[in-house]
Amino acid sequence: MIGDDVALPVLLGFGHDGWALALIAGAGLTMALSLTAMAIGTVLGALLTVAQMSRRGWLAALAQGYGLVLRGVPELLVVLLLYFGTPGLLAAIAALAGLPAPGSPPAFLTGSVAIGLVSAAYQAEVFRGGLLAVPRGQVEAAIAAGMGPFTRFRRVIAPQVLHHVLPPLGNIWQFNLKDSALVAITGLAELMRVSLVAAGSTRRPFAFFAAAMVLYLVLTSASSAVFRFAEARAGRWAGGR
Amino acid sequence: MMGESGTGESGFLADTALAIVAAVPVTLALFVACAVGASLLAGVLVAAQQGRVGGLVARAWIFVFRGTPLLLQIFMVYYGLAALGPVRHGPLWPAFRDPLFCAFLAMTCCCSAYIAEVLRAALAAIPPGQIEAARACGMARWTLGRRIVVPQMVRLALPAYGNELVMMLKSTSLASSVTVLDVTGVAQQVIAHSYRTVEVFCLAAAVYLGLTAALTWLLRRIERRLDPAGGR
Amino acid sequence: MTETRPTVLRARGITKRFGDREVLRGIDLDAARGDVVSILGGSGSGKSTFLRCLNLLELPDAGTIEIAGSPAPLAHDARGRARIANPRALNALRAKTAMVFQNFNLWSHMTVIDNIAAAPVHVHGMARAEAVARAHDLLDKVGMTGFAGHWPRQLSGGQQQRVAIARALATDPDLMLFDEPTSALDPERVREVLDLMRALAGEGRTMLIVTHEMAFARDVSSHVVHVRDGVIESMGPPALMFGPDASPVFRGFLSPP
Ligand SMILES: Nc1ncnc2c1ncn2[C@@H]1O[C@H](COP(=O)(O)OP(=O)(O)OP(=O)(O)O)[C@@H](O)[C@H]1O
Ligand SMILES: [Mg+2]
Repeated sequence: MIGDDVALPVLLGFGHDGWALALIAGAGLTMALSLTAMAIGTVLGALLTVAQMSRRGWLAALAQGYGLVLRGVPELLVVLLLYFGTPGLLAAIAALAGLPAPGSPPAFLTGSVAIGLVSAAYQAEVFRGGLLAVPRGQVEAAIAAGMGPFTRFRRVIAPQVLHHVLPPLGNIWQFNLKDSALVAITGLAELMRVSLVAAGSTRRPFAFFAAAMVLYLVLTSASSAVFRFAEARAGRWAGGR
Repeated sequence: MMGESGTGESGFLADTALAIVAAVPVTLALFVACAVGASLLAGVLVAAQQGRVGGLVARAWIFVFRGTPLLLQIFMVYYGLAALGPVRHGPLWPAFRDPLFCAFLAMTCCCSAYIAEVLRAALAAIPPGQIEAARACGMARWTLGRRIVVPQMVRLALPAYGNELVMMLKSTSLASSVTVLDVTGVAQQVIAHSYRTVEVFCLAAAVYLGLTAALTWLLRRIERRLDPAGGR
Repeated sequence: MTETRPTVLRARGITKRFGDREVLRGIDLDAARGDVVSILGGSGSGKSTFLRCLNLLELPDAGTIEIAGSPAPLAHDARGRARIANPRALNALRAKTAMVFQNFNLWSHMTVIDNIAAAPVHVHGMARAEAVARAHDLLDKVGMTGFAGHWPRQLSGGQQQRVAIARALATDPDLMLFDEPTSALDPERVREVLDLMRALAGEGRTMLIVTHEMAFARDVSSHVVHVRDGVIESMGPPALMFGPDASPVFRGFLSPP
């Protein structure tokens, strides 16, 4: 785009030659990607927790195996595998149904699913720990008091589980946020990708990577502030412990 | 496609598996170097946190390296620093030109921040009464550190420290992004001229799975060694 | 406090503030070899703080301490804040004392035998083999034969406290400090620890004991000290303190209206 002769403030600014807007848009996409991944991870993680605690041995083993594999393989490989693997997989499925190959799914989708799959493995562990932390006697007391399953969950289990899981969930969120940078290799224009493109085309890698670092720091510290606030609220909800 | 059945198919997979396994030493070397470097650096960070000025520096270090993606840090070291005159024309240029060294440097800095947090938590978890008991019988500072604080810290830190090591082992795969030919790097190289993406990445994933399982097993054994009463 | 026996402890004017709260307001206490001094008093009166000042786990703001002939290396800076003048002398002073805590404080990363042998080896420089042999003797003495290889968390509270007492005895201290050694124990475990302490008193050990066990204080101690609001309200032999001529304040403490 622009050569070495343009001044750094201009390159980092909002003007015609500046990258500020692109970087901020990238940060927004990073945020959207991480949020989607976190949501996928929460839903799948909850399902995995239920499966892990199931009395059906094969189901519990399956959930456990999922966790072992996804926590034992680099996140980068999961992202790569999904990005390169899904078009073939979709084509195979389509062929079975006698349809033409649907082409590649959007990078945002494969990226957030990849990070979400990993996130689910970690979130399942957290949920299980949270459930186990509720003393069995308290659940029995709730049953003895005549609470139905829903009331029991809403009034006795959920507040305590939430109190236990929020800090580790905050940690997982931070990892999601940072792992989302891996999706840059698929070409999705999130923050990491934008900084790479900017660094390449302006030949000012130091400045643009530093700018990206600052933006990531803003995202991570802002979200940890949100989690601290939520933890304080959940603490009060669970009886100030 | 048609002709590539039977021996051709299994031949390709066997060749790929061999190539990937041959890259395991690179991954392991990077991991061990980072584990040693990051642990030492983390020790320094925790020590620095005991002082006021050092505490500020250590806090900033931990904030930056825990708050940004490792991939970005690796690019920063390999491409970002290389663009700076003092680095490019300095005496360390041969090192900074080497992608393996840059990956090692970035990973060591990053992991040191995580391990420092683990160590700090372990230090805070030592029962103060046990330190008091040591002071009450006249143990000198150094003896107290060596006989009471460090052994307790190691025991308390070990589970979380082990998790960090597993994370670190997985993170070594990011080195491939700056052309290091580790397990992931070799896998990508094979893919570049065979286009057999899924099989090759699955092979690489299996190798990592084996490595992390072995590391987890080793850590569990060490934990048991150190604490034979096993939390009873 | 008899002239013929050597003085083991000599504390004068011990004063300690936490913030603007004066917790100790000038305590004087002497103990001769073989004395068993029970320190009684209400909660928050400063008993623990006093005991912890004696081995400088807390630094007194004023006062002097001398244990077995060595003065405590206390100094005060320009603003009157206490500090350690000489760390080496501090450790030497502490090596002459031993402390038994309310919640045992056994080192959880060491087996029973290593807990007992640690101070002889790492503070007094005794050979390990000798320290271990002596530790085994001490285990027999506190009735814990056969527990050498156990870990602290495998023991009951009473057993842990007996090991802690063996650990305290291991350095053959001139002065033993006990801070409510039975307060964290079940009633049936209290006896085993009190019996052991009674035996130690019979051997002529010099002991300062903060306790709420009145019967023990009356039967075993040579002196009873009543601390109230950071000063010694009254003191004397148990026959006097538990008799009709005791101070009314102390009588009020023993049997509140
Ligand atoms: N480290 C400290 N910082 C601030 N205040 C303290 C500290 N230690 C003790 N205190 C205060 O000093 C006072 C005396 O405490 P101390 O522990 O000596 O009492 P005690 O006589 O041993 O009581 P108890 O019988 O309950 O053990 C208390 O009011 C306590 O709150
Ligand atoms: Mg007390």
